Amino acid sequence: MRAAFLLLPIAVCTTGPAFAGSCTGAEDQLTQASSALTRNVVDAAENILHALNASHPECPEIVLQQARLAQAKGNVNEAAELFYRYTDIDPNDSRGLAYFGRFFLEQHDYMRADALSAAALDKDPDDPAALAIRGQILVMKEQSSRGQALLEKAIKLDPDDPESQFQLGAIYDKGKAAPQAMECFRKATTLNPRDARAWDYLALNLEPLGDLERADRAYRKGLDVNQMGRYYDAFLDYNYGRFLFKRNDLSGSKRHLDRAVELNPDIRAVWYERARLDLRIQNYQQARSDAEKALACTQQGGIIDLQIYTLLTQVYARLGNVDLATKYANLTRETPPPVRGEPR
Amino acid sequence: MLAIASWSSGLPQIQFENRQQRSGITFVLDNGTLPDKPMLDGIPGGVALLDYDNDGYLDIFFANGASLPGLIKTGNRFSNRLYHNNHDGTFTDVTIRAGLHGEGYSIGAAAADYDNDGFADLYISGFDRNILYHNNGNGTFTNVTVKAGVTGISPARKKLWGISAAWLDYDNDGKLDLFVTNYLDWSFATSRVCGLPGKRLSCSPTLYKGEPNILYHNNGDGTFTDVSETMGISRHTGKGMGVAIADYNNDGWMDIFVANDNDRNFLFKNRGGRGFDEVGVESFVAYTDNGVPVSSMGVDFRDWNNDGKPSLIVTALGGETYPLFRNEGNGFFSYESYAAGIGFRSFKMSGWGAGIQDFDNDGYKDLFTANSHVSENADLDKQQHYRQSNAVFRSLHDGTFQDVSGDAGPAMQIRAAHRGCAFGDLNNDGKIDVVISAIGSPAELLYNISPSANHWILIKTIGVKSNHDGIGTRIKVITASGLVNYNHVTTAGSYASSNDPRVHFGLGTDTVIKEIEFKWPSGTVQVLHNVKADQILTVAEE
Repeated sequence: MRAAFLLLPIAVCTTGPAFAGSCTGAEDQLTQASSALTRNVVDAAENILHALNASHPECPEIVLQQARLAQAKGNVNEAAELFYRYTDIDPNDSRGLAYFGRFFLEQHDYMRADALSAAALDKDPDDPAALAIRGQILVMKEQSSRGQALLEKAIKLDPDDPESQFQLGAIYDKGKAAPQAMECFRKATTLNPRDARAWDYLALNLEPLGDLERADRAYRKGLDVNQMGRYYDAFLDYNYGRFLFKRNDLSGSKRHLDRAVELNPDIRAVWYERARLDLRIQNYQQARSDAEKALACTQQGGIIDLQIYTLLTQVYARLGNVDLATKYANLTRETPPPVRGEPR
Repeated sequence: MLAIASWSSGLPQIQFENRQQRSGITFVLDNGTLPDKPMLDGIPGGVALLDYDNDGYLDIFFANGASLPGLIKTGNRFSNRLYHNNHDGTFTDVTIRAGLHGEGYSIGAAAADYDNDGFADLYISGFDRNILYHNNGNGTFTNVTVKAGVTGISPARKKLWGISAAWLDYDNDGKLDLFVTNYLDWSFATSRVCGLPGKRLSCSPTLYKGEPNILYHNNGDGTFTDVSETMGISRHTGKGMGVAIADYNNDGWMDIFVANDNDRNFLFKNRGGRGFDEVGVESFVAYTDNGVPVSSMGVDFRDWNNDGKPSLIVTALGGETYPLFRNEGNGFFSYESYAAGIGFRSFKMSGWGAGIQDFDNDGYKDLFTANSHVSENADLDKQQHYRQSNAVFRSLHDGTFQDVSGDAGPAMQIRAAHRGCAFGDLNNDGKIDVVISAIGSPAELLYNISPSANHWILIKTIGVKSNHDGIGTRIKVITASGLVNYNHVTTAGSYASSNDPRVHFGLGTDTVIKEIEFKWPSGTVQVLHNVKADQILTVAEE
């Protein structure tokens, strides 16, 4: 399952020329701090900013980086206060607007994220941070072509922003362009190895390319860094479990699908997938239980009723329950397969 | 590097050589494509291997398209073709003499001796007309379609869009009956256009209604009766493409599998010749294990793991994987594409023709698929390719397969718009060859030149109480070393194509077959003992 990742990034930061005077001598450290935040190396960024705060207390750029730091640490109120303070100081800095927009996006405040990203791009159409957030917002607004163009421009201007790479990769992934998606996620994971989502997507796009060993490594690296927070991926175990299922590592698959069920008990897809595995390993009672739970789930997660009916037909047939097997066979027959409108 | 890896498994190599250029066969499948890429132009391309003149060598028939939208075989470019095998690797075009030029938009071909006169007849399925050609026994054929009553027109007087056909004796009365798959309720008037101007794509078949299949019962007097309704066939509407037959439940009655494109597949279980129950859902072959349909195209239905139970391979489009359904012998099939090792490999392939055949004569059947995407402009999607190379998966003797296409010779690297393919031994050397039709490029004659010294037998059955071809006869071979192998007589399978009616067995290193058991459709069981390997054996029903 491809999770709908809406929470995002930290784009690259360069020292703003508007505050050159009060920030003189701090440029290198600000760049380092920004880079560390971009790569999600929070401790390093914090140390640098702590030192800078003492040496350059009047440098407004520090406020912006502190806002990003607070955001990275999950201190929402503090981050909001700092972002507001920075945009008051320099309402014309596209980066401040862009980062603030990202902050709102992360808080699921889409209207403000939309407005701020548009304003950021108005201020500076060549600011990679503004391009990246605006591109992402446009994709969410189903203006995919325009959004993709902005993200591609953002990456051209700043190829070292892992979030932009991730977002562009997600677009390619959605369009089933695995080679391009894989390349974006490869860069994203190189730039930010702590991004479990990017490892997951990298693996998912290596699979159709037939690069199974790299896909396996990517999944495992993702699992190694999968911590709660902005880069957390609730479906990594699910995807890795499915992958191992296809590779006939059934015990490994079970471990991860068990974990996926624990993590996402309201999502139909995880129960469904584990039921398929149960069926394969001839644990029919568990398959029945999981498949029935899948049927009862309200969040389909991409699994349609027809799939459940087909599965339950098998489960009950193998359990020897003729009545229920017949019931679900009839439902399978009565349920039309999905209409694929797209050409092929 | 790859070749070494291939040998390192200890199994013999599979090698093919395309001898089209020296064969004299110049056939190029012409789909009459139009800029808007109507549904019709993606799917032609049947091939039939038949020995029409009983000289002991397989001849080759190619079905061809027609001009669009007129559906006329204007000139030679759209002519169907019959090539006579000269026994020396060359062929002679005998289409005109044979009277097989054809009419309309032809798609599939199915060969068998329906009137038990000892000569292979030919049924052509197509979009606007189906044709039954009776073999006159003198190198010519006569169109007997209307007289025979096998026009492919429904009781509602609608010509259904025929794709594939299978000859079988469903009621074991000694006369071959005819099953025809039908595809979509589509016409130029209702045709939709998909993709951008100049870059049109094939529309999804889900945009159109499907059509029922047809079963014709052979009356034994040169005529047939449409029994689709009474036998329980026409109540099931699908989007039929490939068809294959086998007695999957070992009850002595041939069953029918229909590959439906983006719809659930059908498994018609033969109820003792008195009717059919469609049990695809109950047998778990209607869908993949993911519970959704794929673009099922071609199919073969044979025992690939030597357990005596015919199993299935189905071809599909890129991104779907080729379903492999293993017959468990209890009425259920299990989806084993990934477990058998072809899942990831076939994910990137799009396929049409399909075969379960033992190419290296090691006693274990391998898999072959003729590959190409349906849409000429498929490459607009960087993940898809219109022209693809074919694939061969070698059995590793444990129910799994290895993709050895890359090591199988330059012939297996030819990228083309492959469609139907037929399997048979063109030069009687005991190795199964493949003839493949391809849109816009010369047909390929893949001679099997695998270096293996393994032994083989090719069995030609002649029915007496059973139908003359012995179609439906189940054969079990036990070699001197105890290797047990199963197959059955059929010309059906693959995509829109017709295979060598002779039954091939690879025998591994055994030079003697301890026992061959024949279960004829009539019910007769016949056993031969101590049969020499490496021969073409003709067996008449006792």
